[in-house]
Amino acid sequence: MTAGAAPELSAPADRELAARVLAGDEAAFRDLYRRHTPRLLQLALRLVGGEESDAEDVVQDTWIRATEKLDAFRWESAFGTWLHAIGVNVAREAARKRERRREADWPDGAEPPAAEPLDHVEPLDLERAIASLPAGYRTVLVLHDVEGFTHEAIAEQLGVTAGTTKSQLFWARRAARALLAPPTKGTSA
Amino acid sequence: MNDRDDLTPAERRAFEELPRERAPRAALEERVVSALRRRGLLPIPLGAVASRRRLAPWLVGAVAASLALFAGGFAAGQYFGARSGAAAAISGAQAAGSATQVAAHVERAGALYVAALVALNQMNDSADAPTRAKARQAALSALGAAATEVAHLAPNDPLAAAVLRGMTEREQEQRPAPSTRSVVWF
Repeated sequence: MTAGAAPELSAPADRELAARVLAGDEAAFRDLYRRHTPRLLQLALRLVGGEESDAEDVVQDTWIRATEKLDAFRWESAFGTWLHAIGVNVAREAARKRERRREADWPDGAEPPAAEPLDHVEPLDLERAIASLPAGYRTVLVLHDVEGFTHEAIAEQLGVTAGTTKSQLFWARRAARALLAPPTKGTSA
Repeated sequence: MNDRDDLTPAERRAFEELPRERAPRAALEERVVSALRRRGLLPIPLGAVASRRRLAPWLVGAVAASLALFAGGFAAGQYFGARSGAAAAISGAQAAGSATQVAAHVERAGALYVAALVALNQMNDSADAPTRAKARQAALSALGAAATEVAHLAPNDPLAAAVLRGMTEREQEQRPAPSTRSVVWF
């Protein structure tokens, strides 16, 4: 993935901190954690559908996996990009588990009702709509429309084709609009 | 479909206004660090190494709960297994070189501690009052010592804080004289 990368200037510092973490420096880990967790937590929170405790679990598991793999990280991408890619995978697993516990408005793959593009959207309402989407739609919508990743990058991350992510984004936006759309005259009661 | 062309300006603006960062709770950092330590991904820092030395009294406290039952002179045979296991846990913890090993010792000692309390409950009717009181005090001392150590490991742990707070309150309520604090260490 290319979008959402940590600023170039921070890369050497991340690398230096990571080297110190591998040498057992807890303070370096805390620095790394504090630098990257706010963004990771927000991403996790959206991907799991707004459940804070689930998002915290994702953050913890992400750091565990990242620290386990740290010595194998080749620094071909920014540390933040790599960390968030791990976070996306962990969050998808968490979201799948959570999905089994709740009734989604539209199961993945089901066709949401058609809705007009919106002229006014409150961010808070948008956040709620994103949380209500099925996990598959939500992941693509968050990565593309919120995080700014390209379809190719998302496809690589999720192990699907770009065509699939485009299709999922189409349905995700449609579902979100249906959730956000005010009731139209004649359709209620 | 082009990347963002499908969104209206209002929709695009709403997406852009969504927060990209969220401040984590301070407790989450401690939780993550503790999880890494438990897996041996971060070493036990010097402070915690010192606390590993303090772990011995914790373990001794756990054993104290068991041994207090022996001091009363009842059901000794039932506990020989637990006592030898706890003694092994102590020496094992002192010799343990990794966080994982120490965590395993703590878990084992904790199990012995709980087993001793279960036995104490079962023996309540047959034991005399002073022996019961002594065993109960030993059990509470071990609980307090354990909570103190957990608070060292995870300063923001709410459960450890609640136990310590409760014990402080209890101590204040029960304190008739300034120096009545009695910790039973064996």
